[in-house]
Amino acid sequence: MSMLDVKDLTAGYGDIPVVRQISLAVEPGEILLIGGENGAGKSTLLRAISGFNTPASGTVMLDGVDVTGQPPEQTAKQGLRLVLDNHRVFPELSVHDNLRLGQAAGRRDPDSFAKSLEQIHDVFPILKEKEKQYARDLSGGQQQILALGQAFVAQPKVLLCDEPSMGVAQMLLPPILSFLRKWAESGTAVVIVEQHLKITQPYTDRAIIISRGEVALECPSQELDARLADYNATRMASASHG
Amino acid sequence: MNTQTITSSAQPRPETSSFDSDTQQLWLASGLLLITGIVPALFGNAYWEHSFQLMNIYIAVTVLQNWLFVDAGQKSFGQGVLLGLGAYGLAVASGVFDQPIAVGLFWGIVASAAGGLLFALPALRVQGFHLGFVTLSAAVVFPQLLLQMDDLTQGLNGISMPMRGLSEPLLLGVSTLSLLCTAAPIIALLFHYKMRRSRLGRRMRTAAESPEAARSLGIRPGVMSSLAFLIASVGTGICGLLFVPAVSFVTPQSFLMDVSFIFFFAVVVGGRGQLLGPVVGIWAVFTIPNILLVDLAHYKPLVYGFITLFVVILFPDGIVGTIEEFRQKKRKAGGGERAFHLTALTDWLSALPDHKAAAEDEPILTVRGATKRFGSVVAVDRVDFDLRPGEVHGLIGANGSGKTSLLNILNGFSRMNEGSYHFAGRDVSKATAPAIAERGLGRTFQTPRVFPSFSVWNNVRVGLDARETEMPAGLEQILREMEAEHADGMPTLLSHGQRRILEVVRVVLKDSPVVLFDEPAAGLSGEEREEFSKLVKLLSRKLGTAVVLVEHDLELVWSIADRITVLETGSVIASGRPADLVRDPAVQHLFVGGAHVDA
Amino acid sequence: MLGDLLMNLDMITTIVLRGAAVGSLFAIIAMSFNIVHNATGILNFAQGTIFLLGAFGAFLFANRAGFAVWIPMLVVVSLVIGLFTAAQGWLTLKPLRSSVEQNSWIISTVSVSVIIAAVLTLNFGVFGNMVHGPVPRVSIMGVRTPGAFLLAIGSMFAWYFILRWFLRRTFQGLAISALSQDFEAARAAGLDVRKLQLLAFGISGVIAGSVGFMVAPMISVSPDAGLRYVLNGFVAAVVGGIGNNTGTLIGGPLVGIVAAVTAFYIGGAYQDLASLLVLVLILMFLPQGLFGRAAARKV
Repeated sequence: MSMLDVKDLTAGYGDIPVVRQISLAVEPGEILLIGGENGAGKSTLLRAISGFNTPASGTVMLDGVDVTGQPPEQTAKQGLRLVLDNHRVFPELSVHDNLRLGQAAGRRDPDSFAKSLEQIHDVFPILKEKEKQYARDLSGGQQQILALGQAFVAQPKVLLCDEPSMGVAQMLLPPILSFLRKWAESGTAVVIVEQHLKITQPYTDRAIIISRGEVALECPSQELDARLADYNATRMASASHG
Repeated sequence: MNTQTITSSAQPRPETSSFDSDTQQLWLASGLLLITGIVPALFGNAYWEHSFQLMNIYIAVTVLQNWLFVDAGQKSFGQGVLLGLGAYGLAVASGVFDQPIAVGLFWGIVASAAGGLLFALPALRVQGFHLGFVTLSAAVVFPQLLLQMDDLTQGLNGISMPMRGLSEPLLLGVSTLSLLCTAAPIIALLFHYKMRRSRLGRRMRTAAESPEAARSLGIRPGVMSSLAFLIASVGTGICGLLFVPAVSFVTPQSFLMDVSFIFFFAVVVGGRGQLLGPVVGIWAVFTIPNILLVDLAHYKPLVYGFITLFVVILFPDGIVGTIEEFRQKKRKAGGGERAFHLTALTDWLSALPDHKAAAEDEPILTVRGATKRFGSVVAVDRVDFDLRPGEVHGLIGANGSGKTSLLNILNGFSRMNEGSYHFAGRDVSKATAPAIAERGLGRTFQTPRVFPSFSVWNNVRVGLDARETEMPAGLEQILREMEAEHADGMPTLLSHGQRRILEVVRVVLKDSPVVLFDEPAAGLSGEEREEFSKLVKLLSRKLGTAVVLVEHDLELVWSIADRITVLETGSVIASGRPADLVRDPAVQHLFVGGAHVDA
Repeated sequence: MLGDLLMNLDMITTIVLRGAAVGSLFAIIAMSFNIVHNATGILNFAQGTIFLLGAFGAFLFANRAGFAVWIPMLVVVSLVIGLFTAAQGWLTLKPLRSSVEQNSWIISTVSVSVIIAAVLTLNFGVFGNMVHGPVPRVSIMGVRTPGAFLLAIGSMFAWYFILRWFLRRTFQGLAISALSQDFEAARAAGLDVRKLQLLAFGISGVIAGSVGFMVAPMISVSPDAGLRYVLNGFVAAVVGGIGNNTGTLIGGPLVGIVAAVTAFYIGGAYQDLASLLVLVLILMFLPQGLFGRAAARKV
């Protein structure tokens, strides 16, 4: 049984379907990369899995438990944590308080919080240095780290990460991605939605490409480059005929 | 290509619209009002005659409040003030200062219009609960002022002003007053009914339902809400004029806060937006409690408070609305909806001769050095942009690259910090969205602005309402067919793709030389994408429409654009013909897997 | 000459003290608006009658009582009103989940306000009741000032700092702040949105109820007085910028002093008219309030 098991999910906004009949599964310790162009439905897919949009049909199983259509705060408590795109943190709270609120989705126990905090500070010392500053004063990349740190505090079973590279300086990406890699290897199932596939792909195990709300191709990550080249060649050929 | 014709156009159009039951409700309400207004007098029952006179005045006020609340989107807790201003205007002028009745009537209307202005002025700037508080304050302050200005109003004693002549039987024992009190709510209902079917009424409601959509159609929402407040105020003031002879005297006690609450609650309990609602509502929160609690007057506020709370939580659509919804459900189960197709329109366009616009034409729209900042973020950074008649111009880029910000500058939703913008030969750098829309620019939205309270046809018609130019001959026939087809269509039953198509048709009917499409293909099926692409090509080729297309679907953009501009972090990084751009690294970047992270 | 000046000074002190004291009440109502507004986007129109419930609590359970009774009753009454307001919040938030009409809350909170006032009228009649509290008069700059005035001003600051501490230090408070800063991120982080919103309603009830209890001696304890406080509290909130507690510290006393000056120079019946005009002017020329942050425009 996979940690996250999504079957035939159709969802959108109101009655606007954006993703249709998508199935995917992620094992503990594995990173699944979801790619696709703007507007292909990647974010909508993550939002439907985590409960922000109620799916029109299909199921979402988390560690064997059906969580389809539950509100996001509830799925978060059950161990499925979505990190939204655009490095969203609580701007008017301090860095430390942002991390503190991470406990909302996990156990609120001072010891394990202190331990998680220590681990994050080890990987990203900047969060320790800026502990008392408002989150709004951090750079985009630092905010992304903070958002991930907040999710880490909750120790989720499944982590969904929407475009971690958005608004992040390039030099910060490798440390963020290797942090996610290590996190996954500790037994978490991780899904990363990303447009910047080239830089993300080496850190991931499998990849899915979504186009117009449907799965266009699926393969092990190392084959992605070759498969995409074929895929784009066919598409451009048909576009120039249209 | 899908060319299925619409088979249902042969069906005769039903006599009364079944999209809403306005017509039936109007008849039913008028019948009830006639019965309560006339029957007691026929039987010579003075008590009921008098009670129903007051009740029918209240119904007239509530009808206007219903219109103001739903059709114009303005929440007022102060309608009792306007009623009181009308009544006191007449009573003070004619009862205290012995002016002729005609002068008194004049002052009553002036007073209520002035009160309406107090509500209307803030309505130019703010909406929603702010106005709720303004009107509520007015309702609290008004009786205090009546008491205080006792040299005008005779304070707590009130002004006695019997107008016996009006109470003399005129016809079969029915007095002029009874006739007037019966006519008032019926006239108010007719006004509501007619307003809904008028261009002004549709534009007001568009402004209430979606201020952005309204502004993009050349409507100024602030002006609409102020105007609505003024109209409702004068109407309510006229009811106040009738109040004086109906009660024979006016005191501050008649215009306490509770009266305003009764009008508001009656709208909610009867059913917001239902024509019959005010009649049922006043019966439920005023008349029946009055009869049942005749000895327990103190319990009245408690009763109508509870009825309202109960209704808003359990039956948010009110009494008439809930019944109506039930009927609609049964109807929905009966027949399917007709799909909304473009075929007729595209066929008509195809038959037109090509537009003479040529590529070397002067640009219709020129932007130079446009810069837009939000705080420290530069959303649009020194952008130059030209658009020629008949050109389809694709605007692409990653999320947050400034596409929508640029679109908002073009249609006037946001104003540039720096730069110049010329459109149709004029400098519109500082023009508002409605002003730019009136000069001939239309746009659609990422989420289609389709109004569930309008039938499908009326949703299209708001585009026609905004049209400034003559209708071409062939189009009229198509519109007649469209009306026959969709006059009863419920937009809630349209698929997402069809709603987008509907919005596109609306903009086409507005007749805009420039049209901005904001992610028009999102959520469209393959077939609908085809339909849409075909329409855009026809618009540019046959009507010379210039199109700006913000779209993520790169294949679609490549297949219909004449020119493509690529934005990144607010700046133009590439611009040119599609064939030339395809190998540009800036564009490669946008294709899946083509993205390198550049330093 | 000197005597006149002194008398004038006394008068000015009296007006300012009175205005500031009454204005503190408006500021407190505004703060109780803010916490609910920040957590839910709702403005509770019943906040004025809830404030009045506190005053009736003092009238019923602590009139002429000494501190030994007054203080425990203050705690009990405030908590009961807090629970009541949380229940009202539950009822108010209920239809918002399904109804298409997003403004149902305006109607339901107004009807709750009407119901509370009606129940109070049935039990206590329409006239004002006098309440005597245990805090004695004190002399400020030679002006004998009712103890309740000081309680009013003191509780404005007390609640301001308690809220500040709560919203910035405690887990639940931080969570409520987070709701207003980024609602979606708060849900993604697993914050119990509904519970926090009910907590915000409850706290707003405790604030309004406790202060109503304490200042009962300085207000007219009559059922229809609630509207006056909710309206002036709203004006104070708008002047200070809705959602901004620091703004209420200026907005409240400002509205209070305008009302007191109007009452003194023109007449008591014109106080609310003055507030209404302040409201209309602010809405027309400074809709974000004196201290409100201009929200970035989203289309």
